[in-house]
Amino acid sequence: MKDSLHPRTVVFTAVDEVNETRWRPAADIFRTPTGWLIKYDLAGVKAEETTISIAGSQVTIQGVRRDCRLEDGSSYYSMEISYNRFERTIELPCDLAAARVEVQGRDGILMLRLICQGEEP
Amino acid sequence: MSTPDNVHTLPVLPIKNTVLFPFMLLPLNVGRPASIAVIEAALASEEKELVVAALRDANVENPDLKDLYSIGTKAVIKKMARKADGTLEVVLLGVDRVVLLKLDPQGNYQTARVKPLPLVEERSPEIEALRREVSDLAGRALALIQPQAAEELRRLIAASKESIRPLYTLAPMFGLELKEEQALLEAPTLADSLRLMHAYLTREIQVLELRSKIANEAQSEMGKEQREYILRQQMRAIQKELDGENPEKSEIALLRERLAKTVLPEEVRKEAERELARLERLPPAAPDYHVTRTYLEFLLELPWCKATEAVIDISRARQVLDEDHYDLREVKDRILEHLGVLKLNPTAKAPILCFVGPPGVGKTSLGQSIARALGRKFERLSLGGLHDEAELRGHRRTYIGAMPGRIIQAIRRAGVNNPVLMLDEIDKIGRDFRGDPAAALLEILDPEQNRSFRDNYLDLPFDLSKIFFVTTANTLDTIPAPLLDRIEVLRLPGYSEEEKMEIAKRYLIPRQLRETGLRPEDCIFTDEALRGIISLYTREAGVRQLERAIGSIARKLALRHAEGNTEAVTIRLEDLEAYLGPRRFSPEQARRELPPGVATGLAWTETGGEVLYVEATLLPNGRGMILTGQLGAVMQESARAAQSYIWSHADELGIDRHLFRRNGVHIHAPAGAIPKDGPSAGVTMATALASVYSRVPVRSDTAMTGEITLVGLVLPVGGIKEKVLAARRAGIKHVILPRENQKDLRDLPEGVAREMEFIFADVIKDVLRAAMPQLTARFAA
Repeated sequence: MKDSLHPRTVVFTAVDEVNETRWRPAADIFRTPTGWLIKYDLAGVKAEETTISIAGSQVTIQGVRRDCRLEDGSSYYSMEISYNRFERTIELPCDLAAARVEVQGRDGILMLRLICQGEEP
Repeated sequence: MSTPDNVHTLPVLPIKNTVLFPFMLLPLNVGRPASIAVIEAALASEEKELVVAALRDANVENPDLKDLYSIGTKAVIKKMARKADGTLEVVLLGVDRVVLLKLDPQGNYQTARVKPLPLVEERSPEIEALRREVSDLAGRALALIQPQAAEELRRLIAASKESIRPLYTLAPMFGLELKEEQALLEAPTLADSLRLMHAYLTREIQVLELRSKIANEAQSEMGKEQREYILRQQMRAIQKELDGENPEKSEIALLRERLAKTVLPEEVRKEAERELARLERLPPAAPDYHVTRTYLEFLLELPWCKATEAVIDISRARQVLDEDHYDLREVKDRILEHLGVLKLNPTAKAPILCFVGPPGVGKTSLGQSIARALGRKFERLSLGGLHDEAELRGHRRTYIGAMPGRIIQAIRRAGVNNPVLMLDEIDKIGRDFRGDPAAALLEILDPEQNRSFRDNYLDLPFDLSKIFFVTTANTLDTIPAPLLDRIEVLRLPGYSEEEKMEIAKRYLIPRQLRETGLRPEDCIFTDEALRGIISLYTREAGVRQLERAIGSIARKLALRHAEGNTEAVTIRLEDLEAYLGPRRFSPEQARRELPPGVATGLAWTETGGEVLYVEATLLPNGRGMILTGQLGAVMQESARAAQSYIWSHADELGIDRHLFRRNGVHIHAPAGAIPKDGPSAGVTMATALASVYSRVPVRSDTAMTGEITLVGLVLPVGGIKEKVLAARRAGIKHVILPRENQKDLRDLPEGVAREMEFIFADVIKDVLRAAMPQLTARFAA
């Protein structure tokens, strides 16, 4: 097993995805007349367990997805949804220090609106 | 589930032979019921968390806290699927390092109370340096394992902001042992983990490089030799791992170091350096490698310039010689003379002495005491039965199993180039088609040539001229004349009864008592008893049998002593039979009455002197002369000369001439089985013949020796001391000797000369006058 003439095959994913300890929610990013709209695929995540922070031109969202209790006596047959902590940092091509943030949840999608005042889109 | 100080309770999944690092995905196929229960429990929780900990021993079935490594990894189940056979496929993602505090059984699995153990990630230039070095090494190692992945991974490492992540990512790729992986996980600080990883990678790269080299070469040609080479290389790699250095190279380095330290003549050093350079170029598997190495080792061991520095102290030497040996004045004087010469001229050539004498007279031990007296090392080699010249001179190195000759080997054993070297039994060298060892000895023993003795194996000149050669022989007859010419012969004649008594008292008795563990006062031999042992139980020129007899008595006394009877014992003459059995020899061996025709002669043998009777008888109606008793050519001629003398002087001796014509004569010398030769029985045979023809008996108390000539002159012979002692042993009081042998009587022990009567003869008539007074009365008349 420990024969390094035949090392274990190592599988690599894209460079920036390798071996994070937290999962990354998928996101769509829109350019809007007033600024930016980011849609996060965060079904099953409670709004109060989500934190959004802005630093410079980076928007970071982090939080926890907890599995919800189903009926008693059930057990997993398979699992694909990622639970536990997540984190996603998105870099936008403008300074966001002065941006106003609006958050709205709809049908499992978290909408993050960034309104940049005094700046022409 | 969390408590204020961050202690969680999580289900524990023990895993075998591997460590889950944070940032690492671990696909697992879970089949054991206990493990399935752990996964189920984790799946049932909201956060899908569990703790993975490695088992210390892969064979433990129901582990408790001490069977697990106490530092594990908190993991999240990323994916899970149930398979048809009931096993679970899960993908775990390592998240955090945790310490296992306590295990609690929970149904059919266990939960653990764990506490996060964050890695201390300080920043310092040292850590940065380490990080770069590790990343470099990892790149090299990966290039050897998976060249296509190396570039990508190197970029990853370089880009990574978190310093620990690349380490954890890399660890599983390098076939580390479980203990090493666990140590990496447990490292308290980033610096520690970097150092660990650095060590692992350095070693790994060495092994990988060697292996890839071997693999490349193996691909090019995979013959049998190649295979052997690979195996040997692998063995060396392993050896290197174990010892930390290359064994062959260090061997050569050791030899070089020794060469530098040893004092050598210029020529030898050059040769040694040439051989050493050759050795370095040889692969250790080459057959020549060992030959050359052995040669070099031998070369360096030889005492080229090492000599015993002895202070010459003549009075001490004299004391040593006297302590070890009784009497032997001539030999001792010769050794002291040489010491005197050495004192005045330290470069004087050592003499080559040859001790000739019967067995047991102390030739070999004399060699040892010469060494002691000179303060030199002593080495001894026996030439008895040697019949191959190469034994002395060595084999050339081209032969398999070649060895240096015995002379050079003895010098190596001595460790100095001026030992006392004893060549024993030089008279018993053989000679056959393989060459003549005696001829090789000619060079070795010639002070003019042995300054540059060339051993075939060594192939370098070695100076033997400082060696004090001592040779021993029982007889000079078989030593080739050219060899005899080079050596200085010192005779060690047999000992007389008095000398034996002295030797027994001074050396043999104390030694035998010491060896049996008795004290000197436990056993006292009276003089009569000693004389009894010497004359009734032994017959020899030396003292070996005597020592054995004394030893036999001492052992019997030791037995009595050991049984508790500890009173001192005095050995008297009458006790001997109880200790040694019935007497073996009769002291009175001389015949009391001699019939006409028998004369008492004296013979010299290698074991001392003997009384020898010559019997002559007339053969009526016979013709000529019959000689029996294994007589040699010289002795037969001597018998004919005696006969011719008697015949030609018949009238003077009053012998009837008709006897010659009518009778033949038969001469016999008992014992018939022992070959005899030499001229010294001439007078005895003449006397016997005179007696048989004249019918006058010879005096039984008179023995004689001497060579005769046809005109009746009596010529001197050798071995006088032994012969006189033999006569005395036999109880004969009168001995007739050639006049010229009168000087040899000086060698006799004190007292012997006084109790014997010697008659010195110039011509045969003097002999007849002394041996047969009746006959002389007749021809005087």
